[in-house]
Amino acid sequence: MKDIKRYSAVEFKATPLKNQKRGDWDVVLEYHGEGEGPWLVDLSHRTRLDLQSSDLATKKPFGITIPETPCRSVLEKGMLLNRMNRIQTSIYHLDGETIDIPEEKEYTDVTEATIFVAIFGSRVFSVCEKLSNLDFAGENKQTPFLFQGPFSHVPCQIVTLSREAEKSGVVLTCSRGYGKHMIDGILHAGEEFGLTPAGEARFTSWINNL
Amino acid sequence: MMTRFNHLPTLKINTGDKIPFTYKGKTFYGVKGDTIATALYANGVRIYARSLKYHRPRGLYSMNGECSNTMMEVNGIPNVRTETTYLKPGMVIKEQNVKGSAENDLLGFIDKMDWAMPAGFYYDTMHKPAKIWPVAMKQIRKAAGIGKLSPDHHMPGKYDEIFPTCDVCVIGGGHAGMKAALAAAQKGLRVILMEARPWLGGDFEYRTSEYLDSQTHHERAVQLAKEVEKTENIRVFTHTANVGTYNNNLVTGFQIGKESDSFTERYIELRANSVVVATGCIERPLLFENNERPGVMQAGCALRLANTYGMLPGKTAVFSIGHDLGLETAATLHDLGLSIPVIADIREDGQDPKLLKAVLDRKITILKGWVATEAHGSKQVKKVTIKSVDATVSKTFDCDVLVASAGFTPLTGPLVINQAKLTYDNHTNFFLPTDLPKKMYAAGRLLGFENAESIEASGHLAGLKAAYDCENCSIAELGDAKKAMETLPGPARGTKLITAPVKGRKTFICFDEDVSIKNIKQSINKGFDVPELIKRFSGAGLGPGQGGIPGHNLPLFTAKYQALPDIRIKPTTVRPPLVPTLIATYAGTNHTMFKRTPMDEMQRKDGGIFRNIGVWQRARYFSKDFTCKKEIENVRNNVGMLDGSTLGKFRIHGPDALNALQRVYVSDLSKIKEGRVKYTAMCNDDGCVIDDGVVVKLGENDYYFSTSTGRAGQTIEWIRYHTRYENWDFALVNLTDAMGVINLSGPNARKVLEKVVDIDVSNEGFGFSEYKEFTIADTIPVKAMRLGFVGELSYELHVPASYMKSLWLMLNEAGKEFNIQNFGVEAQNVLRMEKCHVILGQESEQRTNLLDIGMGFLWSRKKTGYKTVGVAALIQAEKDNNRLKLVGFKMENNGRAPKDGALIVDDRVLGHVCTARNSFSLNEAVGMALVQGDMSKIGTRLAFYEDECNGELIYGTVVETPFYDPEGKRMKM
Repeated sequence: MKDIKRYSAVEFKATPLKNQKRGDWDVVLEYHGEGEGPWLVDLSHRTRLDLQSSDLATKKPFGITIPETPCRSVLEKGMLLNRMNRIQTSIYHLDGETIDIPEEKEYTDVTEATIFVAIFGSRVFSVCEKLSNLDFAGENKQTPFLFQGPFSHVPCQIVTLSREAEKSGVVLTCSRGYGKHMIDGILHAGEEFGLTPAGEARFTSWINNL
Repeated sequence: MMTRFNHLPTLKINTGDKIPFTYKGKTFYGVKGDTIATALYANGVRIYARSLKYHRPRGLYSMNGECSNTMMEVNGIPNVRTETTYLKPGMVIKEQNVKGSAENDLLGFIDKMDWAMPAGFYYDTMHKPAKIWPVAMKQIRKAAGIGKLSPDHHMPGKYDEIFPTCDVCVIGGGHAGMKAALAAAQKGLRVILMEARPWLGGDFEYRTSEYLDSQTHHERAVQLAKEVEKTENIRVFTHTANVGTYNNNLVTGFQIGKESDSFTERYIELRANSVVVATGCIERPLLFENNERPGVMQAGCALRLANTYGMLPGKTAVFSIGHDLGLETAATLHDLGLSIPVIADIREDGQDPKLLKAVLDRKITILKGWVATEAHGSKQVKKVTIKSVDATVSKTFDCDVLVASAGFTPLTGPLVINQAKLTYDNHTNFFLPTDLPKKMYAAGRLLGFENAESIEASGHLAGLKAAYDCENCSIAELGDAKKAMETLPGPARGTKLITAPVKGRKTFICFDEDVSIKNIKQSINKGFDVPELIKRFSGAGLGPGQGGIPGHNLPLFTAKYQALPDIRIKPTTVRPPLVPTLIATYAGTNHTMFKRTPMDEMQRKDGGIFRNIGVWQRARYFSKDFTCKKEIENVRNNVGMLDGSTLGKFRIHGPDALNALQRVYVSDLSKIKEGRVKYTAMCNDDGCVIDDGVVVKLGENDYYFSTSTGRAGQTIEWIRYHTRYENWDFALVNLTDAMGVINLSGPNARKVLEKVVDIDVSNEGFGFSEYKEFTIADTIPVKAMRLGFVGELSYELHVPASYMKSLWLMLNEAGKEFNIQNFGVEAQNVLRMEKCHVILGQESEQRTNLLDIGMGFLWSRKKTGYKTVGVAALIQAEKDNNRLKLVGFKMENNGRAPKDGALIVDDRVLGHVCTARNSFSLNEAVGMALVQGDMSKIGTRLAFYEDECNGELIYGTVVETPFYDPEGKRMKM
């Protein structure tokens, strides 16, 4: 039997240039020919948690205060917290070393439930506009903010992290099963804008510059 | 090829860039910027097609594509509107609806048979005697419709879609639209401007007459367009036709791609906070004898032929017009070399004095209060008869073009399809939009304005109103804009004349369906006295152009003919698409969007044949033998692996988790022991069974449960809905995609599993209905259940999705010595059917309750206090013996299995087959069926009626169930 590995539902037809073994994941840090952007990065190996509690106000996951208003998000210490509704928050680990999942029962590790990708760089919202009728550019929303709605006709969580020209970008999760077709759809929509797969390093650099 | 002008500032063609195309098998040349129709016109083509009913010759008429006159087959695609479709190199253009050619159509004689085809003639004839109708119907259907397209035609090109959002959407890129866009944009709003033509400017763009202070309309259009294009927050979609508007300002359209675009056409669906409609007007056709003869064209068409496409419409033109654009056109075309012997102006007075002078300065005769009454010439206009409007005097002129239009018709479609009302306005002779939808405004020429400053001011005002809706404009600013409008000329007086003084036998109110004034009179005389009825009886407005040509003439004529004191009659209903487009455009990119399981790739490599099942793509077979004999026998005798990852999987936790489960599941789940699996079901309020699955207890107030594949997407909502009035504290997490499932089944399943796990998986160590958590190789966490859906020793392994591939490979390797095989969904279907385990949706339908399918044993009658969904209905249903019951049956005389869904009959329908197969395990055909209660007794004979059986029934008998291993020893081994 070969090594036990974990596989992402996201697969790019690009040649990895730099890899890193992280637990049982084989994480691609850089691909050949990443181009000038915009970029699509697979973050499915990054931990996502579901926090549900009737008393969310008292919860401070990883020492971060959860936004009070549904659909508001907060990005701190490499963690992105998205208030989904009265009782529920999604937590994405975007940057930094592996995290310890809190032991309280209110937390469920949902890393496996979804694919997790970032789309960023100039014209990212032109790509999004081809796949979703959600208004990413509406001035009435302050970044970061959460949409729970359709993207390529599939229910997603999409967090807009920045709308600043070259720094524009979103992270997106959807049911893992849709992984292949969602990625095909995003890459096809982004083809005319030069959207290319990129490794995690590109994402890390982006997130650290926000 | 005609010599083209190349000096006009308004031209949109490049005469130096020749474009070849094929027409009737020969190569011709147009120039860059030509539409197909103008390219043909430049090459001397005057007859583009023949009409639908009478096969009358038809030619260029409006350049707006609102009728079928110039629809042709282009590159194999029929009904292309050549007036608005731009020429591309290599296009192959063919005439359609002709027998022979458009020039010499063998069916042209039908034009003389119009007496035999009065309005609605097919309602009066061809059905007595009744046997005629089937024959006549076939002939009518052959004649109906234009163009042919193969059902499997593949549309070439790239079709895209976008879903933008904006604050203000402006439909129409003329002066009013551009001013509206600028007004809203100057308030900092995000504006989208849609324009049907490939450039901004609307109907001013091609006019060289004076706008103001020596600036021409064209120059003003260019100036405004530049201003719009440099405004960052205005997004301009040119060559984008609006096709629909809907509630809450959803606006749809389609854009034709340029050479540099990545799409051929793209569908646009945008949401705006506020909408301004500034779509302008088209010309209202003038009604006279042979008013659609090639050579008859509207003023805008003649003017655009020259100013936009660089050619004169002919050598000599008679004008019969009812508006100042006609005078302007005459003066402009005269200057370019067109001979104009006479202008018959319907109006006695009211002409723009400057234009009148311009015409007289050019020594063009103008007859006021005159109108064209007949165009002569069998295929093209050769001369025209004009008469005074009171028909007392007439004159005839030789010509090859007749420029004719009665007035204008506002393009109110975007407003009307979003529920605005139309009301007749006596001053403009327009049906004007009233009761506009919220946050929707009209501006410009469609309100009757003809003065350029008024048009722009109305656009500016509408733009501010839209900004006000977005809370970006003050009442004071609106007031100022309104005051500014009041100082400018109001809407212009419209021409009242509808039809020239003619009998109307060949005066066509609808070109597409060859409906004449005479036909309208016939319809009214038969009692069809309003346009909606006339349309359906006579066909007026039913053709490809819908109401484009008959539009406002039909209600105006209907009112006039009935001498109605006021015009309360309305135009016929307008529906989307306002401008027709390709189905391919609506389809857009059409990305495949199905779910795939974590084992998808491996199963495809193993030869899996996949089917779309609900939202998932699943391996249904693993060979081309769709009976799945080998797969089934392998599970019965050896060991197989099934991908069960599509099952719904959930975690529910929190102090009230058990309460929530008790509310929706019929069993008493308080009795679940840790380490055990509880099979149970959910019902709806009617007691009808909607889902089944297993529940396991993970810990205190913490449960893991599964649902059927089809219900997974609704489960959380279902539980939340049925607990919405309780203040219960529980959390639900959907883990459907998080956990992959491998079902390891068959007598050798244990032998395979024990090679990869470290726990005791013997029957004693891991018994039937037990649940265990363990890790494989100290790495892969597994939730394992001993279940027996297929009736054999089975282990259901729930594993984090990312590890599934690794586990699959491990099991395959471990199973090599037993020749482990995949089995697919169809094999599972047969295996469980032999065991009479139900699949909800297969053995149940919408009305089937828990008791009907023999699952009443799951219902805990002792469980009280939880208001379990469906229990009240089940208590009632328990006493009802007339309900359908699920039974097992075998076929008589070792016959074949009936088809799924076959009816069970005597002289009535008594039930239906749920699943039936030829069983390889039993060597006979068996199945399950839902039958009426009195048919459920063992030994009852069932007669099966299948589709296309021609009355030949097959028979079976109700038998005891399950068919296979009735004592259940094999799954508990």
